[in-house]
Amino acid sequence: MIEIKNLNKYYGDHHVVKNARMVFEKGCVYGLVGENGAGKTTLFKCIAGLEKHDGEIITDYGHLKDHLGYLPTEPYFFQKITGMEYIRLLCNARRIKAENIHEKNIFDLPLNQYASTYSTGMKKKLALLAILMQENEVFILDEPFNGVDIQSNILIADIILRMKELGKTVIISSHIFSTLSETCDEIFLMKEGAIIRRVLKADFPALEYEMKQILVGDRIEKLGLK
Amino acid sequence: MKLYFLIQFKMLNRHLAAFGIHPVIGCVLILAAFTGSSVLIFEKTAFAEYLYLAASLSFLARLSDPARNQFLRSCFGKKDYRVVRMLENVIVAAPFAAFLVIEKYYFHALAALFLAGFMSLTIVGNRSGFTIPTPFGKRPFEFTVGFRNSFPVIVLAWFLTVMAVISGNFNLGIASLILVFLVCFSYYLNPENEFYVWIFNSRPGIFLFGKIKTALVYATFLTLPVSLVLSVFYSDKILIIGAFQLLGYIYLGAVVLAKYSSYPHPMNLPQFIILVVSVWFPPLLLAVIPFFYRKSSIRLKTLLA
Repeated sequence: MIEIKNLNKYYGDHHVVKNARMVFEKGCVYGLVGENGAGKTTLFKCIAGLEKHDGEIITDYGHLKDHLGYLPTEPYFFQKITGMEYIRLLCNARRIKAENIHEKNIFDLPLNQYASTYSTGMKKKLALLAILMQENEVFILDEPFNGVDIQSNILIADIILRMKELGKTVIISSHIFSTLSETCDEIFLMKEGAIIRRVLKADFPALEYEMKQILVGDRIEKLGLK
Repeated sequence: MKLYFLIQFKMLNRHLAAFGIHPVIGCVLILAAFTGSSVLIFEKTAFAEYLYLAASLSFLARLSDPARNQFLRSCFGKKDYRVVRMLENVIVAAPFAAFLVIEKYYFHALAALFLAGFMSLTIVGNRSGFTIPTPFGKRPFEFTVGFRNSFPVIVLAWFLTVMAVISGNFNLGIASLILVFLVCFSYYLNPENEFYVWIFNSRPGIFLFGKIKTALVYATFLTLPVSLVLSVFYSDKILIIGAFQLLGYIYLGAVVLAKYSSYPHPMNLPQFIILVVSVWFPPLLLAVIPFFYRKSSIRLKTLLA
């Protein structure tokens, strides 16, 4: 279990995450939705310990970061590191022996090529594969479906459901609502740095409708398309 | 085009400022370091003119990077792109050519400028998708990435070792050993993305120990061929070779610690000065290493604790 209490993050005077309070249980999948700039990535970084913050994160994992697989929106790769070496690096860092990498390469990535030559989607899949091989207990996936082909999207959604079965905690952000409604048990709606709503599975259709109203509204009319 | 060079100049100034040095003083220091090392190379080394050409070529090769050139091509028209590439290559090669003229190597000075012109027409980089194999795959990343970026210099250093044996020049052999160590140091000059520190489940002390251990083991892979060859052919000087090898290891450890003592920022001027002073006065390392270790532990605590 992970409990976040009154998490605040400031960049100078800019209050980026406002008093976030959330609870993440084992074996559950959580979604985080909100417009660009709502503070989702910053909140993820705070939970991961990549950003300093105010507030408390209580967990039964001891050092949460040692059990956490974090997939950034845009994973960073060194210029001349191969996919295979990247996976080894991440496994070494957690003192896990990376075995049967080729067998586990379910995305059919060219692991002996430099990761920097991969396409956006391939990079994302490589980064995901590496954190999966780290045998983490908690996963934060920031836009895992972005830039990824449709087959892999289906595969990723199934992986998330399998992790749920295995009792892992998964927190995802995505702009593709259907992927969230398929996989999540609960969705948090974030606006201007604050968690404004917590929605359970039964209310997902209403949330989707509401989000559409908020995000689209009459904006298209304003374009005056002819 | 004028704006491009102005921006390049501004970027250089920003790098110097980030290094903790006023741009004007920085430029003077770069000039002094260039002149000093050039004098030293021509005084102490055989085939200095060729070394010098190789050094100029290595700088020019960086400007011929495929991604960089693709960007320039997208910014400028065909003619302007050619002019920009030619101008920047000449700017880089000019100091080398000037010093070769001072040393009366007129032909080599011309060759340096010719190379600059030629290199402006070429793209140097791996576009074939070929992956350079390394023996460092078990513990990526510093040596895997570093070796792939610097293997021509390593090959040059090994070649110099052979030349040192053929020409009976022991000093050249030691210089080649120092060169390999300097290349290894360069693998630790730039801080990595914070993600690559955060992923470790070790506390700062264990993390640093692991980094130093990997550095020493992998540096041995690259330096051992040099040390072994020198030890076989200059067996009477084996103690000197051993001393340089040992000093190389100690400095490599210090460089690793220096890198993390300013993490996540690049190494700054005070740290660089401390390292340079400790090269002139090695006993200082007894204080420098614990100092860097303490600072590194504090710096890494946020990400690893």
